Amino acid sequence: MATNEAKQVSEEAKMDLFEDDDEFEEFEIDLEWDSKEEGKEVTQQWEDDWDDDDVNDDFSLQLRRELETNVAEKK
Amino acid sequence: MAYISMGEAHRRITDYLNNFSDAIAAQDGALLRHLVSFSFNNPKLLSVADALNVFQDVSRLIRNSSEMLSPLLRALQCYKLGQLVEAYNSYEKFANAFLQEFRNWESAWALEALYAVCYEIRIIAERADRELASNGKTPDKLKAAGSFLMKVFGVLAGKGPKRVGALHVTCQLFKIYFKLGTVHLCRSIIRSIETARIFDFEEFPPRDKVTYMYYTGRLEVFNEKFPAADQKLSYALAHCHPDHEANIRMILKYLIPVKLSIGILPGNLLLEKYKLLEYTDVVLALRRGDLRLLRSALQQHEDRFLRSGVYLVLEKLELQVYRRLLKKIYTIQKHKDPSKAHQVKLDIIVKALKWLQIDMDADEVECIVAILIYKNLIKGYFAHKSKVVVLSKQDPFPKLNGKPVDS
Repeated sequence: MATNEAKQVSEEAKMDLFEDDDEFEEFEIDLEWDSKEEGKEVTQQWEDDWDDDDVNDDFSLQLRRELETNVAEKK
Repeated sequence: MAYISMGEAHRRITDYLNNFSDAIAAQDGALLRHLVSFSFNNPKLLSVADALNVFQDVSRLIRNSSEMLSPLLRALQCYKLGQLVEAYNSYEKFANAFLQEFRNWESAWALEALYAVCYEIRIIAERADRELASNGKTPDKLKAAGSFLMKVFGVLAGKGPKRVGALHVTCQLFKIYFKLGTVHLCRSIIRSIETARIFDFEEFPPRDKVTYMYYTGRLEVFNEKFPAADQKLSYALAHCHPDHEANIRMILKYLIPVKLSIGILPGNLLLEKYKLLEYTDVVLALRRGDLRLLRSALQQHEDRFLRSGVYLVLEKLELQVYRRLLKKIYTIQKHKDPSKAHQVKLDIIVKALKWLQIDMDADEVECIVAILIYKNLIKGYFAHKSKVVVLSKQDPFPKLNGKPVDS
């Protein structure tokens, strides 16, 4: 029985290999392509200057309060 | 199935066979493509399959047609009857005979039909494997389809007008190898595509270039080659057809972790539009320096991230989050007392982490800070005795600027 179960498990695992959740969809063979890439929304939605010195967001304000109470306790 | 007379059945089959030879005689690639494409369930094609069933002795009728057509008809009939393994075996025979003919045709007029054959054989193989597996047999048809596609690649990869089709077959092969979990087999084809001096990559059709860049980009992610992954997946994103939102989503699914690892964040609109909300908290954690949020986001979507193979990439964001937290502490100190801001006590970092419900002692924090310094995420040194991190007065938190974290 035990070996049977083990076999079943390994077979399931094997079948699992026959999956790729992210298989790219086929593009229709007669699809018209506009090769222009500028102005596409998806390529412009990236932020590389997010690492600012702003500490006025809620998280930072809470952090500040936390650090300050710690200092106060120490004194 | 509605009743079909012998005469009607005979007419349908003859029409099909005539169409086939007409397509070849007229070098009509589009017509030929329709005649070999089963999986679009074209009613006219399926009606031929029904006609084949009318004859008691189909094999005799089929035997009269050519070496290429009799297995094709047999495959069509089995396909309609749902006998996928038999359909596959016959389709493979047809495909080999077709490839033999294709090799002899000088021009590339039949490429479109060959693409369809490559697609069909893969799809039928997948379904045949499911049939085999459910009968307790070893599913080996998709692997066999892969071997056939390698033969096709061999026919196309040389010099000449057919070369333009090599990338399409490559992409079909990638789909098979990714499904079978044998991605190492991609390597030799990639080498053949990328080292070819006889053919400029840009001359391949856009749909194949985009697909190729998606798959090779994913391979770069697995190998943790982030700048290369960024370049390939960004190419796929920029050139993907806008109507194929599912494909754009898949590209982003891999591009986002890559971008994060080099310090670039996706906008919320992108996450919302393409329903990639599993990344929302990861991004927020980076913005805040919120280690607890990063960990809980990874835990919450663990299955998803593990399945797509990006879990380890995301786990490594921890260092960037520590860095951001340290920067927040530094900035808060600077607001209070600019002259002492560059000295950050280990205790303060321990407290901040404790506030985030992460229990680490000063030694552990020291170790993390040492890694941050070593990896160039922060500049400074360690005053071990006084348990203080002394940050450089100049650019204490150098930005990644699209470069990966030093390893």
